[in-house]
Amino acid sequence: MKENVELGTPPTAERERSTDRASATAAPRRRSSRRLWRGVAGALAFGLLLELVTRSGLVSARFLPPFSEIVANVFLLFGREDFLSALGVTLGAWLLAFVITVVIGVSLGVALGLSDLAYRMTRTLIDIIRPLPAIAMIPLILLILGRGLETALVVTVLGSVWPVLFNTIAGVHDVDPLAKQMARVFAYTRPQVLTRVVLPSASPFIAVGIRLSASVALISVVTVELIAGGSGLGAFIGTIGATGNSVALVYAAIVVTGLLGLAINFAMELVQNRVFAWQQRTVEG
Amino acid sequence: MTDTQTQAIRNAATEAERRALSSRLRGVVIGWGPVIGLILLWQLLAVSAGAVFFPPPFQIAETLVDSLFSGDAGTAFLNMDMLSEVGASLARILLGFALGSIGGCILGVLIGLSRQTGDYVNPIIDFLRSIPSTATIPLFIILLGGSDWMRVAFIAWSCSWFVVINTAAGVRSIEPGMLEMARLFRVPRPRQIVRIVLPAAMPQIFAGLRVALTAAVLFSVVSEFYLAVNGIGFQIVQSQRRFHIEEMWMWMVVLAVVAWGLNAILHEIEGHVLRWHKESKQR
Repeated sequence: MKENVELGTPPTAERERSTDRASATAAPRRRSSRRLWRGVAGALAFGLLLELVTRSGLVSARFLPPFSEIVANVFLLFGREDFLSALGVTLGAWLLAFVITVVIGVSLGVALGLSDLAYRMTRTLIDIIRPLPAIAMIPLILLILGRGLETALVVTVLGSVWPVLFNTIAGVHDVDPLAKQMARVFAYTRPQVLTRVVLPSASPFIAVGIRLSASVALISVVTVELIAGGSGLGAFIGTIGATGNSVALVYAAIVVTGLLGLAINFAMELVQNRVFAWQQRTVEG
Repeated sequence: MTDTQTQAIRNAATEAERRALSSRLRGVVIGWGPVIGLILLWQLLAVSAGAVFFPPPFQIAETLVDSLFSGDAGTAFLNMDMLSEVGASLARILLGFALGSIGGCILGVLIGLSRQTGDYVNPIIDFLRSIPSTATIPLFIILLGGSDWMRVAFIAWSCSWFVVINTAAGVRSIEPGMLEMARLFRVPRPRQIVRIVLPAAMPQIFAGLRVALTAAVLFSVVSEFYLAVNGIGFQIVQSQRRFHIEEMWMWMVVLAVVAWGLNAILHEIEGHVLRWHKESKQR
């Protein structure tokens, strides 16, 4: 805290700098709005291309329905009770699995990253487990737990805990030992060192891991639903795909699943920017 | 130099060597100790509790060795049926991975080279890669039927995104001066890409390839779970339906071996290709 006061610049200098910054941010803002317009134009052109490809008969509508029809089906889906409940089931399973994953990954990661011996003892073990697809355990877990939320949770946590775990271990392990010693010198207790030094300095790493885990978890939940059947978006897409009479509906359901993935990514990014605004400021400064 | 001096130097050298060896040995013990310990613990618990779903690891290993060498003398006692199942999965993984990586590289270079192209295309790519790719299997079945091309196309589609993102990031991080210099010397565009852009982006491309390979293994298994007549994933599901728990574990171990093997090979290739990169970083 004291440091900030000392480093704080006098008001006049501050004002000068802020005008400087205003002119400096004008260009990036223009650039970001141009990027937005280009993105919109690109998406519209892509949609138009898809529409034309089918309307002109280049691609059979049996494989690729006109883009407008897919969009119409997206709206149609949101009027269907069974689809909305599938969406809810997937979202609920994802959220629960995600929370469990983060809690396990971060706490285990902190424990393993803090102790040098634990770090070295688990590195080989983790290297061995990491490339193995947890999804391969779906049939086994299905036998044990049956079709339902528990199976999705177990498989998803097993598969998506790794990114948070690695990044937490790496972040905690990389904390400057000097900073930790310094905090000890200033009579911080061990828990205080953890919450005020270790976690803040490891948090950017942890955040990246959490974001990765969030997307892996969604893939995993959808996969379990697809393989096990029952409820959820994966099962819904599998069923309408198998009946095979409405290709546009399959496309539409996949589009909604993609939107869900996009929304989750976006939410993660938003939270990350909010929570770690201080980090970006220090990088700028 | 007197004899005693040489002797002393030699002693010191062997002492240092010995210490290095013992520290490396300790590293191996610390690293592998927990792995072996866990396997033994699993064995102990499974035997004492008679766990149905988690058979003792030694029993799984025995099943694996027994069925792998249950062939006749003509094939060196190897079980060819089993190997052909592994081969089917391996072919899908490698083909899907290769197609996906090549496509991903091309797209990544295109997006990374021109900021303008990136601006137009990025939202579409962000959306497409946000789709949990396993959700597209039913669509691939509609488009390509139950053929192996369906599985290969699905694997390629699913693992290409990791390569696209990493390649684009790698290409974007190239020093602009380098490309300007090449333009100044009138190096033709294709040559620029092959000789400057790709090598400079190679470390990032490999980061993407590593993730993509692991993903390719995963997605091949999912595609075989969903619809297949052979392959490792198919065998896992078959053993589940017949309630052959040990066999199911055996196939999971086979899958693990395939995953480790492919990772190790890629790691080796990366070491060769990126040797210059590591050397330049050391300097």
